[in-house]
Amino acid sequence: MHLPLLPLETFRPRWCELGMHVVIEREQVLAMTPQADDGGVRIGMRRGGVSAIAPDATMHDRDAVKEQAALNGIAMSLLQYTPEVALAEDNANLLLDVTASLRVFGGRLALCRRVRTSVDAMGFTAQIGMAPTAQGAWLLACRRGNRSLARARRVIRMDSLTRRLDALPFTLLPAAGPYRDWLDGIGCRTLGDLRKLPRAGLQRRCGKDVLDALDRAYGDAPELFNWIEAPQTFSAKLELPDRIEHAEAVLFAARRLILQMVGWLTVQQLAVSRMVLFLEHERGRTAIEPTPVEIALAEPAWHEAHLIRLLKERLGRIELSGPVIAIRLEAVDLSAMMPPTESLFPEPGGTPADYHRLLELLTARLGADSVLAPAAEADHRPEISNQWRPAASIERFAPVMEMGPTRRPFWLLEKPLALLVREHRPFYGSPLQLINGPERIECGWWDDAFTARDYFIAQGNESACYWVYRQRVGDEIRWFLHGLFA
Amino acid sequence: MSASAATIVSECPHAIWRADQMGSCRNPVISTSHPALDRELPNGGWPASSLIELLLQQPGIGEMRLLRPALATIARQRRIALVQPPHLPQIAAWSSWGLAPAHLLWIKTARSADALWSAEQILRNGSCGALLFWQTHVRSESLRRLHLAAQESDIVFWMIRPLSSAQDSSPAPLRLALRSAHAGVAIDIVKRRGPRRDDALYLRLDDKAAAPFNTTSLNHAPVDRRAPAVTASRNVPAALV
Repeated sequence: MHLPLLPLETFRPRWCELGMHVVIEREQVLAMTPQADDGGVRIGMRRGGVSAIAPDATMHDRDAVKEQAALNGIAMSLLQYTPEVALAEDNANLLLDVTASLRVFGGRLALCRRVRTSVDAMGFTAQIGMAPTAQGAWLLACRRGNRSLARARRVIRMDSLTRRLDALPFTLLPAAGPYRDWLDGIGCRTLGDLRKLPRAGLQRRCGKDVLDALDRAYGDAPELFNWIEAPQTFSAKLELPDRIEHAEAVLFAARRLILQMVGWLTVQQLAVSRMVLFLEHERGRTAIEPTPVEIALAEPAWHEAHLIRLLKERLGRIELSGPVIAIRLEAVDLSAMMPPTESLFPEPGGTPADYHRLLELLTARLGADSVLAPAAEADHRPEISNQWRPAASIERFAPVMEMGPTRRPFWLLEKPLALLVREHRPFYGSPLQLINGPERIECGWWDDAFTARDYFIAQGNESACYWVYRQRVGDEIRWFLHGLFA
Repeated sequence: MSASAATIVSECPHAIWRADQMGSCRNPVISTSHPALDRELPNGGWPASSLIELLLQQPGIGEMRLLRPALATIARQRRIALVQPPHLPQIAAWSSWGLAPAHLLWIKTARSADALWSAEQILRNGSCGALLFWQTHVRSESLRRLHLAAQESDIVFWMIRPLSSAQDSSPAPLRLALRSAHAGVAIDIVKRRGPRRDDALYLRLDDKAAAPFNTTSLNHAPVDRRAPAVTASRNVPAALV
């Protein structure tokens, strides 16, 4: 995979808003945005020329360290497709051995599409070449051109690879760079021409590297790679190109970190159950502590789409205390990845994992106190026994106390409603007629909420049933409405 | 009716619906356990994967007891989600119906947009078997969106709204208005796939109250309503045309 715009996209990822940006190396323009191109900036222009032609353009000096970090990040995220990812000798190139992954991801084209989507989501442009040899694939990927060439960059058979490579200019080969003028002078333009030269003479004049690279590309010599090794713990940091004032805008940048984490999780065969996203703020007069956004999952997960959805709902609820300039993602709690057990006949209503995903999603947007499951307490007082707890935190359900033949209304009022009394009868819309009762609930002498109430089932004129109780307050007897028989 | 049309009708009776017939749908249905109500509903029960509107005079008039047999059938296997109920649901009532409380999920929301979002997520996720959604003001686009989401799922989806919204148009194929009546509910069928029914259907909900402790006090209770009227079409029967 070749990343032609890496120097630029290190500073301005693709999801950034457009603008005139120019990357400069050794006082010459190396890359620029399409807007800068429209403004008249050309590759190879000097710094003074750029500021004269396009005074609005922002100039960045090329940052090799940042580029390397970005490349490592991409490599990490691509680990989800194959454990064998290597950095090529020349920078801005990655090599992936996908021989073993083709069937899992549904074939070559589907895999190419997925890799491209992932790299797109991280904010980079990728040119993907595919060939039986890594060096060959890399040469094909480096070939300049637009998207219509995507098919020309993929070959499967060795003889078609030889044919395609023969037509490529030899300048793509980094080892041949120093001898460019000399080779041009003897009429050598393509890799095919280069191969036709006598090997002994070429080795004497150009050294071993050119021949070695050629042999590897054409499959005449074996290739050796240093595959990337994933670190033991995951913590990735990303500096943002702009100051971000809305929490939701952080999502694009966070997506890149999540992709990296997904790659890391896949290769380590782990699943994350708690992760923290730190939003680092701009340093004003006083340093502001980074805002942690903690996401706990009911069931460990390693799927990109689910994690991003949770993060989106969570970020939607956050008020930023200041502009964000960098974000850091840490995987805190990890567990071994458990692949789902597939049953032969799918159950109606999906798997328990589906239900956990639903709970997580609802909790992420509404908060844990709004997604509730029953957690009944053994108590006779209805307001105490009727406890609801966050559904995500309940592991097992306690048995509900047996109530015997007594009846309870389905709706319970949050606060008992004091009723008027007319003609010695409680009144709620109409005079209430007591049709069942009393049922004495008298308990709580051991704590502060002592209650002694007589509960009745009452019926109004419009024949709805109510659950009312009578309580002695001082000398007076008062009636309260506590529930509705729905 | 020409002879060719008659052959078509005899060949595919399900493809043609006559205005005096009860409609049919392909969705599975869950019986209401009230034979009188089953007779009035297309396919004889609450349809799954469709929006059902219950329009209530006020909360607490017997809506949960009306749904109770259907909920009991669903809760044997799957969960039931309550979104934005008007009061606290009481666990003891649920378990006294012989149902496992573990199958209840209560979603509280502060804003109506959140409630609609939650309902849609539950429908799309499909891990619950039934969804009861209380909402007073809801726009027609939202209703359509929920109905579409319901069609993609296999969830029985009741939306409970105030009686005043019976005037508004709604994409729901089944709309019932519930009024309180003596020892039961009176159901007006506002909309269904089938002939129009003008008079209310009275359903006695037997477990409305336990045995009265004082029978004498019920002497002047109103007499039970008459049995439900038979379905009649307002149109002239098709056979006469």
